Amino acid sequence: MKCRAAVLHGLGQQWQIEDITVDAPKAGELLVQWKVAGMCHSDEHFVTGDMVPPAEMLAAAGMPPFFPILGGHEGAGIVVEVGPGVMSVQPGDHVSASFIPSCGRCRFCSTGRQNLCDAGAGTMQNGMITDGTSRHFLGDEPLKLMAKLGTFSQYSTVAEASVIKVDDDLPLDVVALVSCGVATGWGSATNRADVRPGDTVVVVGIGGIGINAVQGAAMSGATRVIAVDPVEFKREKADEFGATHTFASMEEAMPAIAELTWGQMADKVIMTPGVLYGEMMRLGTAMAGKGGTIVVTAIAPITQTESSVNLFELAMWNKEIKGTIFGSLNPRSDIPKLLGLYREGQLKLDELITRRYTLDEINDGYQAMRNGENLRGVIMYD
Amino acid sequence: MAPPMPRDVWFAPDVDSHSWGQFVKTKAAILRARHTPWSVEEIELDPPKASEVLVKIIASGMCHSDEHLVTGDLAGATPEPPLIGGHEGAGIVLEVGPGVFSVAPGDHVVFGFVPACGRCPSCAGGHSNLCDMNTVTATGLQLSDGTSRHHSTSGEDLLLGIGALGTFAHHTVVHEASCIKIDKDLPLEKACLLGCGVVTGWGSAVYAADVQPGDTVAVVGVGGIGSNAVQGAKIAGARVVAAIDPIEFKREKAMEFGATHAYASIADALGAMGETTWDRGFDKVIMCCGVGDGDVLGEAFWLGGKRSKIVVTNIHPVGEASIAIPAVFLTVFEKQLIGSLFGSGNPRKDIPKLLELYTQGLLDLDGLVTKTYPIEGINEGYADMNAGKNIRGVLVFEHTD
Repeated sequence: MKCRAAVLHGLGQQWQIEDITVDAPKAGELLVQWKVAGMCHSDEHFVTGDMVPPAEMLAAAGMPPFFPILGGHEGAGIVVEVGPGVMSVQPGDHVSASFIPSCGRCRFCSTGRQNLCDAGAGTMQNGMITDGTSRHFLGDEPLKLMAKLGTFSQYSTVAEASVIKVDDDLPLDVVALVSCGVATGWGSATNRADVRPGDTVVVVGIGGIGINAVQGAAMSGATRVIAVDPVEFKREKADEFGATHTFASMEEAMPAIAELTWGQMADKVIMTPGVLYGEMMRLGTAMAGKGGTIVVTAIAPITQTESSVNLFELAMWNKEIKGTIFGSLNPRSDIPKLLGLYREGQLKLDELITRRYTLDEINDGYQAMRNGENLRGVIMYD
Repeated sequence: MAPPMPRDVWFAPDVDSHSWGQFVKTKAAILRARHTPWSVEEIELDPPKASEVLVKIIASGMCHSDEHLVTGDLAGATPEPPLIGGHEGAGIVLEVGPGVFSVAPGDHVVFGFVPACGRCPSCAGGHSNLCDMNTVTATGLQLSDGTSRHHSTSGEDLLLGIGALGTFAHHTVVHEASCIKIDKDLPLEKACLLGCGVVTGWGSAVYAADVQPGDTVAVVGVGGIGSNAVQGAKIAGARVVAAIDPIEFKREKAMEFGATHAYASIADALGAMGETTWDRGFDKVIMCCGVGDGDVLGEAFWLGGKRSKIVVTNIHPVGEASIAIPAVFLTVFEKQLIGSLFGSGNPRKDIPKLLELYTQGLLDLDGLVTKTYPIEGINEGYADMNAGKNIRGVLVFEHTD
């Protein structure tokens, strides 16, 4: 079938709306009609190159060039058709995208670490998870999908492991949010940082991820949830989602944290800026006190290797720095669980969507994100 | 079997135990025999010796554990009457004996019902609720040297019922390890609750049960302990906090403390469990009944789902030897039965921490205190507790000096 999709052709470019061809699903695959796609910063990282391996590196490894790529990984839709052997969903089912496939069979999936599923290895490479061949084409050229999903398209054919069935009475824009940003942020606080009642928590960067870290920290019983962001709109939003204090920068927050905690500093620091630069870790780790935990959630430029952590302090104060993907949650159990919390009124999701766009307006949406105008912008397909 | 005598070598510093302080005449509630009312009498207190502290007590909560002294549930683990009851108390330090450095006259303190010496393997490992000194409290004598500072006017030694404290009195002399210093601007009639019930209940949920955001939690019994388990479960992010109690007043109060559901019986809670827990069973079950019962525990066992934690906080009678749980289900559902004392918390950290939560409006202490009484009202207070009228009754001592 033919449909319209947003494709990125190179670094620094705008998303182009193209007509693409989507082939029918083969064994273990299904065709999804996307109804909502979240505009997560991760897709912007392709535009800026943060998440794009250098061309020389790809060439030296004998791999094809990175671009063009059909973007989008945060989304929700309806199953249109299933290929042979698909058991977990049927046509008409509502599904959430899962940018980590969660096959359920590899050693990580089987030990409750489905965010690290081995099937995620080829996530930025061409070819289906099932057999390595392509189902999506721009003209004659095989088209790579972002995270094997390509939610910036009206339709895409994906592997069964890449979607998770959800209750069909839930609004799909809310489902889309949980598929990436909400779980990543919430899990960073509740799970990876393991915020406990009485904790002092700092969240650095209040975008689509950070706002959910704020929400998660508050739900975990933190006494102080300190939100740091240069944009006033984001600080106001942080207050609505459970922050107790807000500051425009880490420099401003540091002395205030020392005063609030009588010198003990924070128990948990969660790094969720739009892009994480190495020098941010200097204050990021300094805001944590003895025995504190610093969770690194944000994407840093892929070629960056330097990070200004004071190793003496790290050791002498017994601090720990922990990386996390998808908030270290398990997509198959935690996406439904978060949607259940939403349904019971215990998780704010509707309030995360600042503005809705059509597919044609995708570049406006990303410009608004760069300007700091949106917590989350979403693409609504008709 | 007699409990071991104190190992005084390192409990009391090696200083001359001669005391220079004043003798104090004061009032105390004494249990003269099991199954009899508390008798409020004048007593005499010796000055504090080395490592001991003389405290003017401002308030003492009436915990069910002291009722266990009356009924004999804790016989063998606690001293024989005559004894001075009370262990959930707070007051002001009047005088310290030699070798006391952690508190000074004028300091405000909450008593930890388990002493926290800070030196034994339990304390050093971060479990001061299990401090080795706690076994010595069963003697009812001073932890420092195994003698008594409390005497009736006819000269008989009066033992200390729980924790070597004796807080059902206007004054007491205790070991320094039992004194937790707190800020002077905190109300002592509320702070006293932290000595036992609040940390026991809150910690049972937050520490022992390790409630996580999204968990479903059942609290069986919502009196002085259970009300705080409800609060702890709620603050830790539980999605469902089901309060189970036959008394309507207690169920209503539980909803005020943060419970999401309330049932009059375990059977009712089991009946609704499919819906409340999305067919998974409760993640955490916390037993906070007035008196622990092996059959009730056996019934509550079925509330727990796969890999659930069932925390046994309430006191079962010391003579009860069996509980009605088919062990095969421990195995096949990987359930855990977890005993917990003082909420598995550390008094020196948790008493100040929870008082901080109170000042931040994140912990309700005011709602726990149903009624206050002078020391002479102690028997009325326990009658009210037994009738189910109080979440917590508190003795607020009317000092005339």
